Amino acid sequence: METAAPAPAISKEHSTLGLLLRSPTFLTGAAIVLFWAFCAAFAPSFVPYDPLADDLLNTLAPPSAEHWFGTDQIGRDVFSRVLVGARDILTVAPLATLLGTALGTAVGLLMGYFGGWTDAIIGRLIEVMLSLPLIIVALMVLVALGPSTPTVVVVVGLVFTPLVARTVRAAVLSERHLDYVPAAAVRGEGWLHVMFVEILPNIWPPIIVETTVRLGYAIFTIASLSFLGFGVQPPSPDWGLAIAENYGVLVGGFWWTVVPATVATASLVVGVNLAAEGLQRALAE
Amino acid sequence: MSRIIRHLDQWRLGRTDLENHVIDELLGGRLDRRSFLRHGSRVGLSLAVMAAALKTTGLDPIGRAMAQTGKPGGTARIALIAPSGRIDPVTVADQYGLLVLQQVGDFLVLDGPDLVLKPMLATEWSPNDDGTVWTFKLRDDAKFHDGRTMTADDVVASIDRLADPANGSNALSAFKGVLSKGGAKKVDDHTVEFHLDAPNGNFPYYVSSDNYNAIILPADYSGDFETKMNATGPFILEKYTPKVGASFVRNPDYWGGAPLLDRVELSFYADQQPQVLALLGGQVDIVQQVTVQGSQSLFDNPAVEIIRLASNAHREIHMKCQSGPFADKRVRQAMALTLDRPRLVQGLFRGMAEVGNDSPFAPIFPSTDKTVEQRAKDIEKAKQLMGEAGTSGFDVTFTTMQIQELPALASLIKNAAAEIGINVTLKIEDSGAYYGDAVPGKSDWLDSEFGMTDYGHRGVPNVFLAAPLKSDGTWNAANFQNADYDKLASDYVAALDLDAQKEVAGKIQRLLLDETPIIYPYFYDYLTAASPNMKNVQPTAMGQIFLQTASVG
Repeated sequence: METAAPAPAISKEHSTLGLLLRSPTFLTGAAIVLFWAFCAAFAPSFVPYDPLADDLLNTLAPPSAEHWFGTDQIGRDVFSRVLVGARDILTVAPLATLLGTALGTAVGLLMGYFGGWTDAIIGRLIEVMLSLPLIIVALMVLVALGPSTPTVVVVVGLVFTPLVARTVRAAVLSERHLDYVPAAAVRGEGWLHVMFVEILPNIWPPIIVETTVRLGYAIFTIASLSFLGFGVQPPSPDWGLAIAENYGVLVGGFWWTVVPATVATASLVVGVNLAAEGLQRALAE
Repeated sequence: MSRIIRHLDQWRLGRTDLENHVIDELLGGRLDRRSFLRHGSRVGLSLAVMAAALKTTGLDPIGRAMAQTGKPGGTARIALIAPSGRIDPVTVADQYGLLVLQQVGDFLVLDGPDLVLKPMLATEWSPNDDGTVWTFKLRDDAKFHDGRTMTADDVVASIDRLADPANGSNALSAFKGVLSKGGAKKVDDHTVEFHLDAPNGNFPYYVSSDNYNAIILPADYSGDFETKMNATGPFILEKYTPKVGASFVRNPDYWGGAPLLDRVELSFYADQQPQVLALLGGQVDIVQQVTVQGSQSLFDNPAVEIIRLASNAHREIHMKCQSGPFADKRVRQAMALTLDRPRLVQGLFRGMAEVGNDSPFAPIFPSTDKTVEQRAKDIEKAKQLMGEAGTSGFDVTFTTMQIQELPALASLIKNAAAEIGINVTLKIEDSGAYYGDAVPGKSDWLDSEFGMTDYGHRGVPNVFLAAPLKSDGTWNAANFQNADYDKLASDYVAALDLDAQKEVAGKIQRLLLDETPIIYPYFYDYLTAASPNMKNVQPTAMGQIFLQTASVG
């Protein structure tokens, strides 16, 4: 029995990967995300212009052969800025998501495993946090601490923590009464060992799905914070910031200063969500 | 011509030495028309004398001031940003609140669109020999909206109210060290004397529309301005709704003649974009102020008239002089040499600005010494200065606000600084966080090593010379401590005579160019947008819009 147990698990993993590779939803999403990830990693070496270089004699130039997406208010090349701009969001959003997932998982495990007063108290605190709009909480903290990239990562990670914790708690509740949990306790394992070594490996599918869903929200939240002036600082080509810097000239017909960054943000969020959807279906099979 | 000269001579007989000196300067060709008008009006020369003097030199006399030529009736609808705080003449502190005040109220003196002082509630004014006492004669036909006649008591009470520290008036920033409580004294019903704290050659500007809090209110004003707005202005309050707008109707008994317009409506907005759209869509006729960055659609648009006024509004880029990487003045000079100012003016303002020369003496001030050499971009020299100061570069944070073109200029400064090895990290925050409590230790503005602040237009450079630059200046973000400068700044304020002002200005300009505590990259024009069917709209670079002679159609 003991030796046979891992075999179905491996084959299930194989079948999950197979399902993913056959899922057009997942493949489309993954392709979009990989495209932007590639840009984030390598765009600075192949874009036609330095994304930070200004040209005050060539401001707000419309798209042309020279500048494919035109130039912005201080003459920077919009095409180069959009490709390189993937870098900030694809660094900050995954980091914030990872932080939120790690903290949320730890809290969720505590709540689910101990139950009782621990669960009740942390649960009420989570409800209080969830009753406040995410972006408002993030804004308040950023106003107090001052905007910077590490602060954004921490703030977004923290506001995602209760959401992840709730999902993980539900998963732990369905596991903790299974035989292997009391068995481990009987073996004399400590509660930390039981939570992280015994229970955690059995609840990773919902955590993975939650992480991908959170990544989509993180991108959106961070772009919103940048747009409101509380995210990445200028002169970064970050998309949210680019929209904030240029939406004022939109009325003048200078759409090319805003549209590429908007489409890029939307495509990345859609890409991540498609991938998450594909993953969720594959894991549910 | 001889008759005109005789005529002028008669006028000159009753004038003071100071006034005659100004006329001599014009006749001797040492003052141009505009400087003569500005300077002459400051020392109290009447428009009639100035017109006679101008005729003598063959220059254009003063244009028909605010002639009513349009057809009566109609409404002027103005878009502006919602004023912050209550509308109270004592405390209003922004260019939105001042527009409300100025529709219903009048000043002693008008610093008009052409930057020439004109009589308003005061008909004439003159200083004593050393500029410590200024005497103002008042109109006898100005009435408050409640029917009472304005007298010297009202003027004394209004100005005293602003000079009294107990009232926390916004005008204290102008009156501090100039006029204290009790300095305004009634001589008779239509004459007021101002006894100043120190000699001041520019005092009429302090009681002009430049000091936008200084509208004359009844002596018994008790602080309920928003309900009645009882003052002497051309329009009478109909309705005021905070955060929404205000409407006014014509004052048929206005001392300057009833306005042509039936009504004025102010609509408050949160941002510039909806104002621009409202103008293009025909919901408003005038947008109080538009910026080049946010109003590209209005330029070259035949459906919109852009009223452009030269101004001395500017940005001050401060560098801490006492400590940190900018303590050596050669590093500050090097930083200033990295900026390509003509390109900034072209790229950020489509040319609608003047290049700055690292002192607050904007080209439009008549006292500015234009012989001082203009600083221009010179990377080689900048690198040499850095070398002499013993540095090849350093890291520094540049702090500024998220308003208008400041973030764009900050990015340009970062790129410029990189050319001489200065690695700038930008910290762009909202204006509340930037100003903080506006005291050292609790304000990013005053505490930052390297930062940028915006300064609005003023009729005279006195405030620019004092608060941000004097050793004890309350806005001295650069921590500039220089006894020679302090002396020169006081001398400038005290100088009554334009020659003396110009001489001190030249010394100040050269000293600041050498020390470079602050970089003044440009002075940008004040732009108001109006529909072409609005006639005779008279904005000022302070943000006021005079509509007494305006008409629709």
